[in-house]
Amino acid sequence: MLRLLGFLLNQSVVTSKDYCSPSVDSLGLPSLGNQTCIGTSCTQCSAVCPTDAIAVADCSNGGNVSLDLGACIGCGECIRACPEGTLVANKNPSVARFKREDLIISNVEKRQTQEASIEPSIFARSIACRVVSTGCSACDLEVAACGNSIFDMERYGINVVASPRFADVLLVTGPVPKAMHEALKSCYEQMAEPRRVIAVGTCAISGGLHKGGYAEANGVESLLPVDLFIPGCPPHPWSIIDGIRKVMSGSVERGA
Amino acid sequence: MKLERDNVKLDERIDTLRPLLHQSGNRLGLISSIDGKQLISLLLNTSENRAVCWESPLQTNRYHSLAPVISQAHWFERTLWDMFGLEPENHPRLKHNLLHEAYSTDLIPLLAEESVSSNGKPREYLPMAVKGDGIYEIPVGPIHAGIIEPGHFRFSCLGEVIFNLEIRLGYVHRGVEKRMCELPWRKMRFLAEAAASDSAAAYALAHSIAVESCFDVAVSYKADFLRTISLEIERIAMHINDLGGLAGDIGFLAISSTMGRLRGTALSMAEQLTGSRLQRGFICPGGVVFDPSDKLKSIKATANWLRKELKPVISFFMSNEVVRDRMENVGKVSPRLAADFGLVGPAGRASDQKYDARHHFVHGVYPRVRVPIAMEIGGDVLSRAKVRIAELESSLFLVEQLIDGLPEGDVCTKLPDALPNNASGIGIVESHRGELIHLIFTDSQGQCCRYAIKDASVNNWTGLAIAVRNNLVSDFPLCNKSFGLSYSGHDL
Repeated sequence: MLRLLGFLLNQSVVTSKDYCSPSVDSLGLPSLGNQTCIGTSCTQCSAVCPTDAIAVADCSNGGNVSLDLGACIGCGECIRACPEGTLVANKNPSVARFKREDLIISNVEKRQTQEASIEPSIFARSIACRVVSTGCSACDLEVAACGNSIFDMERYGINVVASPRFADVLLVTGPVPKAMHEALKSCYEQMAEPRRVIAVGTCAISGGLHKGGYAEANGVESLLPVDLFIPGCPPHPWSIIDGIRKVMSGSVERGA
Repeated sequence: MKLERDNVKLDERIDTLRPLLHQSGNRLGLISSIDGKQLISLLLNTSENRAVCWESPLQTNRYHSLAPVISQAHWFERTLWDMFGLEPENHPRLKHNLLHEAYSTDLIPLLAEESVSSNGKPREYLPMAVKGDGIYEIPVGPIHAGIIEPGHFRFSCLGEVIFNLEIRLGYVHRGVEKRMCELPWRKMRFLAEAAASDSAAAYALAHSIAVESCFDVAVSYKADFLRTISLEIERIAMHINDLGGLAGDIGFLAISSTMGRLRGTALSMAEQLTGSRLQRGFICPGGVVFDPSDKLKSIKATANWLRKELKPVISFFMSNEVVRDRMENVGKVSPRLAADFGLVGPAGRASDQKYDARHHFVHGVYPRVRVPIAMEIGGDVLSRAKVRIAELESSLFLVEQLIDGLPEGDVCTKLPDALPNNASGIGIVESHRGELIHLIFTDSQGQCCRYAIKDASVNNWTGLAIAVRNNLVSDFPLCNKSFGLSYSGHDL
């Protein structure tokens, strides 16, 4: 017992004090910078994209690039390929959005990301999450990492629970292949209202690399209403914590 | 390494393969098919470091099962039934492995001509029925209580003792092998590493080596070093994770949270090296995507720090009596059964199987650089933990040494635009779970026509079912963690 106490006291405090701090080494998701695009005479970015997340079109002042972060796997190939510097790395982990269309960004019509705060917070300062994994385990590892002593999501009132009956929020990772459809739906049905669904990671948002195959792994939206989308492949633990906190602060338009 | 190809007639297949597989140093890599018109049996010769693919043309969709004489074939033949509709005769227990009730019987995903019949009905799954006085069943999953991938376990118990464990997988079957053939080859690497992202570096490496073996090119010395550093950092992070998981299941939370923190350190090394905590998008066919040389000094310092930091934590964990008591003689797999079922990786080595792909097959700096093989003979949870601890130490040491000895040069060799016609390639990598095999075959147009992946878990899931027999239900989590298996790498 004394050895244990001594051991624990020797471990210094490691919990990160900065909330949602951008990571210096991380590649992050791509974003659109201020440099103009030259248009369809160069489509190097869309050619290298493994998930066809980028579309380039011509418009009056050069090119219109639109980038779907909900399909992006963050491989960084487009940033390396872009000769103009239109595509840049975004190191800010606060990437979660309430609407699917807000994940599609464009350099011409800068979309107004409206995080309309219509309802007051329904979850106050504590939220219970049920995690259902249906994918490659990357997002699961990152969700699990949110609970370690570095990120420590419990200090924000976020708990992971072992049954849908206790859960406020269903966190779904992975593209939801056919064999998981029934299990995921029944898990959702057993949650008490009000309940929310968060799609964690690109596969859960759009099916990612698996979209359109015979296993019908096309993401959560084909089965359940989704309230928040956290893009990334996998999202950084800070992106996940920040996303869950967005749901906690109650900026959801849809009724329960 | 080149994939050697040989032919054997279907009716001579078992008589040819059986003596070969019983020779010491030979093992079964996998059994599969290219387009359903033949069986391929991959034999790995670990004494001469060769891989031979035996092809047997098929006339019908039936063949004689190899499983009655070579036990480990049972799992491959089940998968073959699901993916190609090929039915083994005399299989000891034929059941679906990847495709279950959610899929109709007329879906046979990997056949060259897609079957068009629409009179299929849902597939059936019948778990093994264990009957008798006092036998009861505990069904678990597919959704688990913690944050883990999905799978279904059915325990048939007598009191608190597990009589039989039926493992049903396939819930994360996403059709990876088929999608691989639909992608242009330069984009295949992204899917290869997303097949099982906790082994992203190993998967990307096996894929890259398979493609390079198809092209018959070698990568630069420096790329080999960087790839190995990446692979070993992944092993370090996952071994820490698995040891932390064991501590968590024993209830030793001080250790499990410390391991969580130290895994964070390992991931920060990965992030510095590759820009991604899980090392996605770094290793590519031809070498690595970019040169992270300027980060290596700090990675080396971190590895050194981590090695010193881990020592007292591990010795504190392993010297605890409760910990020893929970792990010793629990979840035993005898060396004999480990050999019969071809267990690989730390699970195999803990049951006296002297096999580490790093000693035999070319990947990264291996087998030029020799790493000590960590071996135990107990075959229990304790032995598996000890193997991981020894490997953790040698991997950390190796990372420091590789960084010190990093050669100069390019990091990426340019590859041609199209894959060669009618070619094949193989990549064998020792992932943190054990032997990982990627096979690629191209058609007459140079398009990939078959991509096969064999994760270490394909061998080791049977090991878990053996280990839990006659153990207490409450020891199952420990047995499970000590194997640390992948669902997505198995299901694909």
